[in-house]
Formats: sequence, structure tokens, C-alpha cells
Amino acid sequence: MNTKNRNLIIGGLIIALVIAVMAPFLASSNPDGLESSAESLEVPESEPAYTAPLPDYAIPGMEDNPLGGVVALVVGTIVVLLVVLGLATIIGKRKNNGTSE
Amino acid sequence: MHIPDGFIPLWQCAIYWIIALIALGYSLKWASKNLDEKNIPLMAVLAAGIFAIQAMNIPIPWGTSGHMVGAALIAIIFVSPWAAVLVLSIVLILQGLIFGDGGMTALGANIVNMGLIGGFVGFYAYKILKGVGRIPAVFVAAWASIFLAALACSIEMSLAGTFPLVEGLIFMGLYHAVIGCIEGIITVVVILGIDNVRPDLLPAWVSSRKQEAVE
Repeated sequence: MNTKNRNLIIGGLIIALVIAVMAPFLASSNPDGLESSAESLEVPESEPAYTAPLPDYAIPGMEDNPLGGVVALVVGTIVVLLVVLGLATIIGKRKNNGTSE
Repeated sequence: MHIPDGFIPLWQCAIYWIIALIALGYSLKWASKNLDEKNIPLMAVLAAGIFAIQAMNIPIPWGTSGHMVGAALIAIIFVSPWAAVLVLSIVLILQGLIFGDGGMTALGANIVNMGLIGGFVGFYAYKILKGVGRIPAVFVAAWASIFLAALACSIEMSLAGTFPLVEGLIFMGLYHAVIGCIEGIITVVVILGIDNVRPDLLPAWVSSRKQEAVE
């Protein structure tokens, strides 16, 4: 990987992580558009069919601590970056195969 | 607008899952032809940024909040709605699996709304509007992508018997018309930012510079 791409990943990741760290402190806890619509239309809340390990971007047992949210979001941001990097590298074009297709 | 479990009957969820899987198939085909070592790092950091910013709910009037989705951004930068399907699918799958954001039964519908509809609306709106100027076209395309995704979501809620059609369209449309402005502003800012830092990564149709056609 060349320097430009490395800098892009480092710079982009830093921006994403800054957002992830600020989100638990700054994000509005108001319901989102769909939840608000459901409340206005008196739709009862539903139970999830699957229990996620970090439900609602919080660490179980420390739901009231925004630092738990920071950890959850930082982990999530890095996981998304790595999954896209890995998956795209596997399914993307091969390096010395520009003549195919 | 992540639909939770229980809002859509399972047989309807299955239909959205099938549509989503077909779309994902096309997006993987697109990726195998168009992703290379030059644009993969950009896609990865944008996906990470979209994941993070989707947690940043911004308050809007009526005691509601909303966040960016990012499908138009990806579709415009990678010149394909299938790129948006790919990125939003990965983000939505991880949000559902790890954080319980969006139900796993409704994941197909969420991919259809935010990835497929968001990506196609963003891509074609920009394609149609780019003649009026790059920045207004990006803003409107991003606004339209989330607004129409929200309308699609309320139609699905109506088919599911969860929301009444007209009231659902009014509430979802109203909220997401405002959230769409956030989507539009952030999409413009990100594209201008990339244009400043790494103009070589922007395709000709959204770049400020004259450059060789990027294929």
C-alpha cells in the first residue's frame, strides 16, 4: 500500500473516530423519524428477534455511561473499516489482472 | 429509519430479503469489476465514517432526531448505485448484528430502503441535475435519496399494516424532508473535502477540475 493510501486511511479513520467519540455526548436522544412516526401513530414498541452483543451502541451493564457508547462506537467504526477493506480486497479486481473482462 | 423487528410481518420481510440479496449480488458483481487498490481505501474510510455519523443523531423539530444515511455520497463518488448498496449493506449488517440497530428480520427492507432506493435516487438525481451545478446537484440528490427512502419505508409500513398510508407518508415525509437537509450538507462537505485533499480520487463528474475521464 502506498503512502497516499496509507495517509488516506489514517486521516479518514481519525475523522470517523472523532465523530464516534463525540456521538455519545452530542447525539440527540430524541426518537428518530421512524420511531417518532410510530409514536405519533400509536404503534406499540416491538421486541427484537435477536439479541445483539452491544445493544443500542452501549456495553451491557453500563448503559448510562457515555464512555460505554464511545467504546462501542470506536469498535464498530474500526470493524466497519476492516470489513470493507477486507471484503473489497477479496472481491475487487486482482492487481495484475487489468486485461480481464 | 432503521426498521426494528416486529414492524413487518415475516412473509413480507422475506420478500425484502430476496430483493436485497439480488441487489447485493449485483453490487458484488460491480465491485469485482470496479474496485481496485486505488479506490478501496476511500470506500473503507467512507464506510467507517458513515457508520460513525449514523450514530450522531441531530435534533430536528417536533421532538425528533435524525442522522445521515450516506447512500447518495457513495453512489456519486463511485459513480454507481451498486456501490451504495454494497457499503450500506455492510454497515446495516454490522449495525444489526453487533448493535441491534435495525431488526435482523427487517434487514432486507432496511437494505432496500437505505442502500438500494437511497443509492439509485442519489445516483440518478445527481446524473439529471449535475447540469445545474455540482454543489446544488449534490445537495438535492442527497436530500432526495433519504426523502424517497423514507417514503418507501412508510409505504412498506402501510403494506405491513403498521402505519396508515397517508399519515405515515406525512410524518415520515416531514421528518425526513428536514433530515434530508443534514444529509445534503454533509454530502456536499465530504465531497468538497475529498476534492481538496485527494482530487485524484473523485470521478470527473463531481470533480472541480478538468481531468481525464475516470473509468
